[in-house]
Parts: sequence; structure tokens; C-alpha cells
Amino acid sequence: MHRLPTLLSGIFLFFMTSWYGMVAYPVLGLGRLTPVADAETGGALPAAYGGQAVAGQRVYATEGCISCHSQQVRQTSVTPTDIERGWGVRPSVARDYLRDSTAFLGTRRLGQDLSNVGARLPDAKWHYKHLYHPASVCEGSLMPSFSNLFVTRRIQGQRSEEALDLTGADAPQEGYEVVPTAEAKNLVAYLLALRHDYPLPEAPVKKSGSGAAK
Amino acid sequence: MSHHPITPFHDKVHGADLRAIDASVRLPVLMLFGNAVHWLVVASLLAFVLSVKLIAPGFLGGISFLTYGRLAPAARDLFLYGWASQAALAAGIWLMTRLSGRPLGNSLLTILLVSAAVFWNVAVLLGTLAVFAGYGTGVEWLEYPNWASAMLLLSFLLIGIWAVLQFDRRINPRAEVAQWFLVAGFCWFPWVYGTANLLLAWKPVQASAQGPIQSWYCGSLLTLWLLPVALGAGYALLPRLLECHMNRRNLAALGFWTLLFLGGWNGMERLLGGPVPAWMTSAAVVAGVLFLIPASIVAINLLGMRPDPKLVDKGEQGVVLPFLRHGLYALIAAALLGALCALPSVSGALRFTAVTEAKAQLWILGAISFPLFGVLYACLPPLLGRDCWCPALSGRHLWLTFSGLWLLVTLMILGGLFTGLALSDPSVSFLNITSYSYPFHVLECAAQLLLLAAAVILGWNLSRALAGDYLTKNPRK
Repeated sequence: MHRLPTLLSGIFLFFMTSWYGMVAYPVLGLGRLTPVADAETGGALPAAYGGQAVAGQRVYATEGCISCHSQQVRQTSVTPTDIERGWGVRPSVARDYLRDSTAFLGTRRLGQDLSNVGARLPDAKWHYKHLYHPASVCEGSLMPSFSNLFVTRRIQGQRSEEALDLTGADAPQEGYEVVPTAEAKNLVAYLLALRHDYPLPEAPVKKSGSGAAK
Repeated sequence: MSHHPITPFHDKVHGADLRAIDASVRLPVLMLFGNAVHWLVVASLLAFVLSVKLIAPGFLGGISFLTYGRLAPAARDLFLYGWASQAALAAGIWLMTRLSGRPLGNSLLTILLVSAAVFWNVAVLLGTLAVFAGYGTGVEWLEYPNWASAMLLLSFLLIGIWAVLQFDRRINPRAEVAQWFLVAGFCWFPWVYGTANLLLAWKPVQASAQGPIQSWYCGSLLTLWLLPVALGAGYALLPRLLECHMNRRNLAALGFWTLLFLGGWNGMERLLGGPVPAWMTSAAVVAGVLFLIPASIVAINLLGMRPDPKLVDKGEQGVVLPFLRHGLYALIAAALLGALCALPSVSGALRFTAVTEAKAQLWILGAISFPLFGVLYACLPPLLGRDCWCPALSGRHLWLTFSGLWLLVTLMILGGLFTGLALSDPSVSFLNITSYSYPFHVLECAAQLLLLAAAVILGWNLSRALAGDYLTKNPRK
């Protein structure tokens, strides 16, 4: 180990083992997964995101949602908690992330898991209010306000249909309304699109009592 | 080893060669270390603000660029690239040049290194501002926009290549153990950082393949780049500080090769039970437990060095030794915690809790930062050619850093255990668990304050040292 070429080849060879297993293999294997046909509707699973949801992923990334929220339901062999808490009906598999630009798997759960938030909380109005002032709909929540994704403006003629129904200290002054910006709408569209409540060949959804174990 | 060409005891050094060596790297090393400490202060301040936000979510609310989601990645990346990686570059250049026994090639090289250091800092600054402004990538630990990460990689190559080439120019034909670790670290960073950026940010692969690459990056950045430099510092400085021989070289070689082999797999623990094939979950368990092997080998090897009883030299070097030693304690603690968290049942309960954060802190602020602090305290006097540290401030920095980190880690582990157990019971609501963890968050805030105070004291001490303040007030006899 006294000559640079010897040392470098050793370093290279040893490095290759983890590089192969955790980079090359995933790219060549998991990176080539394709959608499967949905037997019920004839569509593809996972379904493609709409334009707003695609843009919403950017907002999710730049606002750093991943700092507090994971997007994965773990295998029951490791913990049943994720499914028991209602964060999903089956464990997440690699194919679930096929439509994402970035896999937001996450490492902390200061907030709840979001892999199925669209199925769990399908109301866009709720999400707007929650983003504007989390504690107003979830008392004791640690989540900060994302009021920067909203604008307060003077009501022109009729109150906008998009305006948030805010009460108490959150309510804007008379004659004004709080409406979501395009970013907020994109983000909520993405959150509502986060639902993996369908079975996949490698991840069947267990019906109560009759689970098709695989 | 009758000579101690790297001895931090600068006042015993008279070799003209050493002066030439130090002179050739003085400017780039001082620049890199100076800026690294400056970013450490900023990062510690952000970490403190983040901890306050966990007890008062409304703190600094309504300001888009100061939301938790933007502050957290900005702080983490400043710790990783502003502080640790930059300090590792500085330590690496100084140690490699000293260990090679020859000054850097020529003055043009010094200019190149200095420009690369400027480039690195501009990239960190602009990258951080971009994350604040809402242009982050959302890929954990790789949040800087593509142009900033490309700048970082380029600056690294401009600096790192000379550190590696310096190994080939060495006088001593028998390479030192420290040199293996340093060469390995410097070879790996471009590969790890380049691969991860290419596949996750510059030209992202299909997201179904990204999970393993993300965890490989987060593991490898620590175990294959920063840790080898920190261990290289230990292998270079400890025998000289203690004036003892580096025996058990075979054990060191075993530690080196096992770290090479197992280090890259260390991040897999993040995939336990995740959306990956079953073999990866099994491999994650094995990798997490096996990492105890290289960690304990190097720790036994380095902590086993006993000082020469005749050694009485105290003073500002008094902090170098404890920093190097505590770095190894932190490494053992991190490896033990990692092995424990790699067990499926433990991982199932604790993976997304503060325990994960405790492990990251043990790695970044402990196993990696402590030895880098040691190198900083050791290298400045010979580089400046004078006694420059204020011993009282150095001592305060040491104790504030130690108490801050160990307190923070203990609290995070306790808080994590508590939330982990509560989360396993589906009848306890998530918001209830959040409210129970409040006391832990309050105490963590105090620990972050200690760490912030430590960073500020280090910054103050360093700026006084560079300005020659201590020397003028306390002239040497």
C-alpha cells in the first residue's frame, strides 16, 4: 500500500461493491419498472399526475416538506404501526414512486406520513385552511404556517369562490379575502394526488380476513 | 520515527523544511479553515432557531424564507459543506503536505488552491441563499441547485487532486496509515457527490430507483469522505502528540480495508422496511451491525496509544488530544446506535423519530467535527509561526462543545424512545404524541444554545488568533 496506483485500485475495487449494489443495481432494476394495467378502469397504475400536481411537486420540494414528512408505508415485517395508524392500506413499493420526479421518502416524522394523504383527507378546502394556519384545524400541531402561499386582497365585486373561510384572528379585515396562489393550488393538487390505495401485483391490498399473501 | 515532522508542538520545530511546507499551504489552509468556522457559526445559529421553532411554531412565522422547511436543509447543508467538508479539505491539504515532507509544487498552485477555496465558498453562499429563496431541489443533503453543486464539485477537484498527488511526491517511501485514509477520502468525495448529484438532481433517474441512491449518498458522504479524513487526522496527530510509536499497523490496515468495504453500505439502514426489494432490507441489517467492526478496530487502534509519561507539555495543545479522543467515542456511540437501529424491531419503532437525528448529530458534530477541531487547534500555531490560541477560550470551546453535543444526543435518544413507543400504540393520537415531546424539545433548545455558544467562542478565538490579539496582550518570554 505504498504506491499510489496500488492504493487507488484497492480503493476503487472496494468502492465498487457498494456502488454496484446501491446505485447501479437500483438504476438498472428499479429504474426500469413500468406502470401496470388497472383491471377495473383499464387505466394505468400508478396513475399519471395532472399538470397541477406535477407542478405541486416542485412546491413540495422547495418548501422543504420532506424535513418533517415521510412518504412511505413500511413493510409489516418491520412494523405494523404505519398501516394501523391509517397511513396506508398496504406497504409502499418502488413502483409507487414511478410518476414522481423525486422520491420524497423522508427520514423524520415530525408530522404525519403523507403517502396516502389524498385518500385520507380528500378535501381541498381543508388543506388550504391547514396550510394557512395549521393549528386552526389541528390543535397543537407543530406545523408552521405557509401563509406565504396565499394572498390577502381587496374583494372586487363578489367574494371569490376560492377565498378561505377563516374565522377568529385569522379572518382578514372587512372587505378583504384570502385566496391561494398558484403555488398553493399546485401543492394541494399534488397532496390530493398522493394516494396508493390500489393493489399492485407485488403489493396486494389485504381485504379484512382474506389476505392474498405473496 | 525519530523526527516528528507533523508535531503540533510548534515551538519544538526548527526544521527549515517544515517552515517551507507550512508556508506553501498557509494561505489556502487558513482560508478554508477560517471560512469553515464562519459557516459553523451560521449553521449553529440556524440550528438554534430551528430548535426554537419546534417549541414555538409561530416563531419568525409568516416569513417565507425562514420557514422550518427551508431553514432545516439550509442548516444541514451548511454543516456538511460549509463547515465539515471545507474543514476536511483544509485538514487534508495541511496533513498531506506535512506527511509528504515536501512543500507544494509552486506558488501558482497556491493561487489555484486559493481561487478554488473562494469558488467553494461562493457556491456554498449562493446555494444556501437559493434554498432560502425557494430554489432547493428537495433531495435530502443535496438541496443546492444544480449550478451550485456543480461549482462545489469543480472546486473540490481543483483542491483535492493536489492532496492526492502530494501522496505520490512524499519523501518517506513507507506510507503512513494516515495517508491511506486521507487518499481514500479525497478519492471518494468526487465519486460519491458526482454520482448522487447526477442521478438525483442533474439528470434524475426514475424515482422508483432513487431511494437506495439517496441512502447510499447520505451514508457514503459521512463514512467514505468525512470519516476517513477525520481518522487520518487521528492517525497523523495522535502518535505525535503522545510521542509514541504507531504500532499494530496490521490492525490499522484491517480497519482501513473493512471501512472501505463496509462504509458504503452503512446508509442502507435508511431503507429498512422501505420501498425496496427484500434483499436490501436484509442487507441493511447486516451492514448496520457489521459497521461495528471497522469502527471498533480504528477506535481500539487509536485509543490504545498511550502517552509518553515524560510528556508534560500542556497549554493550548491541551485541547487537541481531548478533541481527537472524543471524536472516537462519538464514532463508537454512532456505530452502536446504528447497529441497534439496524435491528428490524428497533428500526420499526424508532426510525422516523429523533433517534435518527441523534445518530446524524453524533456523526456530523461528533465523530467528524471533533477531530477536525483538533486539526484546527494543532495546525494554526505552526502555520502562523506563533502561539496564537487563547487557552481559556479554547478550553471553553471544548467543554461547551462536549456538553452541548452529549446533552443534545441524550435528549434526542430519550425523546425518540418516548415518541417511538407512543407511535407503536395506534390508540394514541399523533397530535398527543407531539404534545408529549414538548419538554424534550425545550431541553434540546438549551443544548443547541450551548453548541451555538461553543461555535461563537471558537470563531472569536480564531479571529483573535489570526489578528494576533493574544500575542500582543501576552508576549512570550
